[in-house]
Amino acid sequence: MEEAKKVRIGIIGLGKLGILHTGLVNMIPRAELAGLADINRQLAKYIQQSGLKAPFFSDLGQMLGEVPLDAAIVCTPASANLGIAEKCIQAGLDVFIEKPLAHTFEAAKRIAALVSQKEVVHATGYLFAHMGLFKKAKSLLEANVIGAVHRFRSSMYTSEVFGRKKGWVYDRSQSGGGVVINVASHLLYLLHWYFGPVRSVFAQAKNIYLDVEDAASVIFECGRDVVGSLDTSWSVPGYRLPYIDVRVEGDNGTLELNNDYIKLYLYKSQKGFAKEWTTIYKIDLPVTSKFELGAEGLYEEDQDFVDCCLDRTSPAVTWQDGLEVQRLIEAIYRSAEGRAVVGLEEVE
Amino acid sequence: MTMGLEKLILGSNAFEGVSYISRTQALHYMEHFAKEDNIVAILEAANSLGVRAFMCSNCPNIMAALQKFPKAGELSLLPVIPNAYEYAMEASEKGVLGAVLTKAKGFSMYQKVRLGLRALTKIKSVISKDVLDLLLELIHFELAGFEKYKLGGVVLHGQVTDLALSSGNPHILTIFQDLVRDSYEVEPILATHNFGVLLPQLIEWKIKIPVLGPLNQKGFMMRPSKDECEKLVEESGYTIIAKKVLAGGRLTPEEAFPYFQGKKVESFVCGIGSVPEAYHTFSVAKSFLKI
Repeated sequence: MEEAKKVRIGIIGLGKLGILHTGLVNMIPRAELAGLADINRQLAKYIQQSGLKAPFFSDLGQMLGEVPLDAAIVCTPASANLGIAEKCIQAGLDVFIEKPLAHTFEAAKRIAALVSQKEVVHATGYLFAHMGLFKKAKSLLEANVIGAVHRFRSSMYTSEVFGRKKGWVYDRSQSGGGVVINVASHLLYLLHWYFGPVRSVFAQAKNIYLDVEDAASVIFECGRDVVGSLDTSWSVPGYRLPYIDVRVEGDNGTLELNNDYIKLYLYKSQKGFAKEWTTIYKIDLPVTSKFELGAEGLYEEDQDFVDCCLDRTSPAVTWQDGLEVQRLIEAIYRSAEGRAVVGLEEVE
Repeated sequence: MTMGLEKLILGSNAFEGVSYISRTQALHYMEHFAKEDNIVAILEAANSLGVRAFMCSNCPNIMAALQKFPKAGELSLLPVIPNAYEYAMEASEKGVLGAVLTKAKGFSMYQKVRLGLRALTKIKSVISKDVLDLLLELIHFELAGFEKYKLGGVVLHGQVTDLALSSGNPHILTIFQDLVRDSYEVEPILATHNFGVLLPQLIEWKIKIPVLGPLNQKGFMMRPSKDECEKLVEESGYTIIAKKVLAGGRLTPEEAFPYFQGKKVESFVCGIGSVPEAYHTFSVAKSFLKI
């Protein structure tokens, strides 16, 4: 029997997420971990002893030249993404880029333009698109269970920064900013997915410990007369992991979503849901991933990318989606700096 | 070799502020168990019901509670190493390699002396970044805080087990197994979030070691599927320790424990969030498991 085709994948950037993607790709039956690249030569010895069969390169060009690849997963600091994406696309690869797409809107636009004329499978690593509870909330909103949406309030907090910090994440020139681009971009993706497109934003940002923003508050105006808000900080105690909270008000009732559950309150029974309260716990949803490493949804994310590479279809989160989130991030930063409402059509 | 493995084991998730139910509960746990006396109260309650085993990390509040608990010497401790949460937080700033090296370089002279001359000579290899030497030193380092207590086993954190599994690396697991058996003379235990994937691989690698994985009536976290996990429990012949027995709090003990009747599960780890919960959970467990 002919062996099923496998997608030969190179992982570029072996930080925390790069290591996780390496393990995950290794566990996907129709993927083959074919190459590993990182500019840190020290990693060569670790890779050798890690059990991974794929060769390690400290020079990306060398990997692209020597290893037959079908696709790449890019997990480098955001400022490196454009240059790497250019090389990968030139080499004819399908490309997954960890979020955010880039450190600036300009760079993100150039990345998205790389595939505008090409039949390339391209994905951005906004993980929430692959998490069961968030997909369930999307299906409830799409099914109009709470009716037409009027308003939403959202937040995302984590306890991470309580003083000066080193590392690329906290360096604007490499990451593009602070909590908004590094943490809340996940929530911005979710809001874009649920309520987009956003028409305008008004934002305020606060630097407490770092040169980049540690906290921000944003008001959104979306299509269909939906207004909403987001509050975020990585400098609040009591959040050992990033925690999101989204509260949506509609004609028929409300929907509350967080890391743990969806809670519906309906004025009358709707689409099989009882009047008043229904809670859907994440624990009660069926296990959909065959493997878990690092975080829920990561395996599904890589599986989706691999499936799309094989089927030549579009992943759940494309570079276009990544660009739209980046547009939102740019609008938030411009608004915070100019202390004025910024329309999304101004960001181009 | 499962000598000393108790049937019921108190877990420490709640003491570390972990809840699968709600943010409100997580916050309550964080605040409540920041005071070590509240952990001691649960250790007391568990102890009064004959639960003598405690699986825990080396979080400061847990270590402080052990210091205060008068019967700590009677406990059979199962440390979970490394403290993956601490490394993950450090890794955002320093990278994974940086986080591990920082920890290794952070051995104080006092700790170096306590670890003995062997560790002192090995510090050079830590700096020279040989991964397997580094692993040995980190295991010793992580266990140093527990040395005055009785160990009932040592648990490799699920993130490390699963990373080794996904990298196709049996060596890390065998090194852990040999080191724990030879140096500490207790059972090594592999924690995992991928029970049904790990066990067949261990069988293929011929690594016979107790496995700690999520097993519950709801199928919560049972990967790749509840059926496959249940089949392995029955047929693998491995020593199996169940965690997430109450499905993260979605099952009552009365709903949870009948599921295990007749199943080949050696021990059960139950995280407990309050003294009444300790009495309730362990009483029901003892009754259903006929302990």
